[in-house]
Amino acid sequence: MPASLNKTALRGDLQVWSWNIAAKALMGLIPEFNRRYPNVHVKVDMNGTNMQSRLLLSLSAGVGAPDVSQLQLTDAQRYIATGRLADLTLVAAEYERMFPASRWKNCARNGRVYAIPWDIGPCAVYYKRAIFRKYGIDPERIETWDDFIAAGKTIVERSHGQTKMFAMGAGTTASQPLTSMLEILLQQAGGQIFDDQGRVAIDSPASYQALGVIKRMLDAGICRNVPWWSQEWMAGLKDDSIATYPLAVWFGATIKDTVKDFAGEKPEWGVFRLPALEKGGLRNSNLGGSVLVIPAQCRQKEAAWAFIEYALCTRESQVAQFRHMDLFPAFLPALNDPYFDEPVPFFEGQKTNRLFATDVARVPALNRTEDWSETQRYLDQSLSSWSAGDRRSDGFFSALARKLQRKLGRPIVSTRNVTGQHGNYGRIGP
Amino acid sequence: MPGNVTNPAARQGDNLIQDLHRNRHFYLFISPFFILFAVFGLYPLLFSFYLSFTRWDGLTPRAWVGMDNFALMLDDEVLAASLWNTLIIGLLYIPVMLFLAFVFANILHLRWLRLRALFRTAVFIPCVTPMVVIALVFGLIFSSEKGVLNFLLAQLGKYVPALDFGPVQWLTSEQWSKVSVALLVLWRWTGYNMVLMLAGLQGIPDEYFEAATTEGASALQRIRHITIPLMRPTFLFCAILSLLGTIYMFDEVFVMTRGGPGLSSTNFGLYLFNKSFVDFRFGYASCMAYSVAAGVFLITLMAQRFNRTDTE
Repeated sequence: MPASLNKTALRGDLQVWSWNIAAKALMGLIPEFNRRYPNVHVKVDMNGTNMQSRLLLSLSAGVGAPDVSQLQLTDAQRYIATGRLADLTLVAAEYERMFPASRWKNCARNGRVYAIPWDIGPCAVYYKRAIFRKYGIDPERIETWDDFIAAGKTIVERSHGQTKMFAMGAGTTASQPLTSMLEILLQQAGGQIFDDQGRVAIDSPASYQALGVIKRMLDAGICRNVPWWSQEWMAGLKDDSIATYPLAVWFGATIKDTVKDFAGEKPEWGVFRLPALEKGGLRNSNLGGSVLVIPAQCRQKEAAWAFIEYALCTRESQVAQFRHMDLFPAFLPALNDPYFDEPVPFFEGQKTNRLFATDVARVPALNRTEDWSETQRYLDQSLSSWSAGDRRSDGFFSALARKLQRKLGRPIVSTRNVTGQHGNYGRIGP
Repeated sequence: MPGNVTNPAARQGDNLIQDLHRNRHFYLFISPFFILFAVFGLYPLLFSFYLSFTRWDGLTPRAWVGMDNFALMLDDEVLAASLWNTLIIGLLYIPVMLFLAFVFANILHLRWLRLRALFRTAVFIPCVTPMVVIALVFGLIFSSEKGVLNFLLAQLGKYVPALDFGPVQWLTSEQWSKVSVALLVLWRWTGYNMVLMLAGLQGIPDEYFEAATTEGASALQRIRHITIPLMRPTFLFCAILSLLGTIYMFDEVFVMTRGGPGLSSTNFGLYLFNKSFVDFRFGYASCMAYSVAAGVFLITLMAQRFNRTDTE
């Protein structure tokens, strides 16, 4: 697929599948895209929840797939493994260095690139200023998760249990809080669930370090046991039952959207950087994100690539999507845009965009493999019964590793050498 | 005498073709059903049977694995847990539901009761209410901190201290999630079973009751000696339907708990969905579906046999 040089000569009618906010962001780009490529017509279909199965069916049948489709970053590997996506290596290679290595890695298989990272989910802690003021907590002094837990204890104590630090319970939704929190912490610890070759690598000191933090949070009694996205969790955005929401950047859009409908006085929100595992450690992580792909059956691959290239690999369109729809750019040059240094009125003039952008390129990649969603479910199940029981951590990950080995047919790799904050593998055992 | 056997057979074959030809217009008229059934009923059925012996993610070529899927099933503790959950949820609600349905049916069968149609509709409504609405409302009812149910329990606990065991984590604890699902299903399907039982009650000739009344039988005696024995097929029918419903139940669990926390409320239907449409393991999912269907078939057969010998 040679990159096209003549932009007006390129013709096509593109069909793009995407969902809610992301679809709106793409629609917003079409006028500008058409100034560059006047003869490529783009139609963005906002697809509902069954998009995944529809895409699967059309890939399987060999007809009916769109020219460009959105995928969850975590699902990318599964679709790539099918061999039904177009190989973008030739045209995309020049952009590799402009995306976080972690994202790029999730889009490639055996050295070939099949997807382009779109948005990412750098993490920080959203907090209610009034609560922190009332109980005398200085968010700037929360540097580690242990500081976070200590602050939580103070808040719970001084509010006589009325206000909890954050919500983390056995959840009922697909991505339950315990698993998501483990994912956040595991990246900070430089741990992995699978190694580069897809072997089970979860039984490592890094995993235990992450689990240790979760255990201390639960044992400290600072967590409110409500599922994420439940009505009580959302109600916590207004009342004083939940002080903070440690989450990804996309949650900011949810807060703004929900809070504007509240009657009466609205809480003032602030953001502080994600606590590190240890003093001086990585104060960022990642949750969520998506990619764009071209199915191999697409007959207008050049036009499709032109659209992806414009939407994802240019500073202006990535910044526009962030400005209007809160899609945080995976495209690193976009992060140098002055927009990131502007104060954000909603957060009382805090420069939260820069805060989220800091260190994004340093967040290590989690290797996803095509079995990611199944793995997440086993993790959910194990964490759920662990947290409901006596929370003994010894042997937790070796048992889980054996389960993954049995269920997914993947070998276990010895990870005794994985210790550091940055996930550098020493020798990998047999 | 082979000759004598083959000749009539051949003639019969000729007759069959002649018959088919003669009646071809009739066959043409009934053919749409058979064609549709073959395409949308028989073909998927056979294809998924074939899939049981393969490993397939829907996209890459199918790999024949023989009996591997069946062997995998024996070692699948998630399958065991989901079947166990199915059994527990079933035991939690089916007996209560059938009892309530029977009581309601009897009450609504009373001749002197006014507004019978209104009451019947009221009891039946949960069954036709969209699941999304139900999920929203029950989410509020079961909420551990601000839910109506826990509020009522707390009020009750003030008067009966034995019942005050703090806020119940209906949806967020492994101990209670099955109970919450069972309560929801109980609420949703009692009306449906009541209608079936009402039909059963209406099928019992009035003469029996009149005769019993003349003989001086009390209302309870009439129920015990006339209604219950004659309703036995209806009970069995309702029980089998509920059993099937529990095994293949999906939306109730999916919208309320997604099978969680952990695995605690995952029933077989949800596990099957996860295996096929989340994990894309169609071969293994087909294998499980067939195996459990075979088990259910056997249980149903035994239950019917048992019922038959009992009534005769």
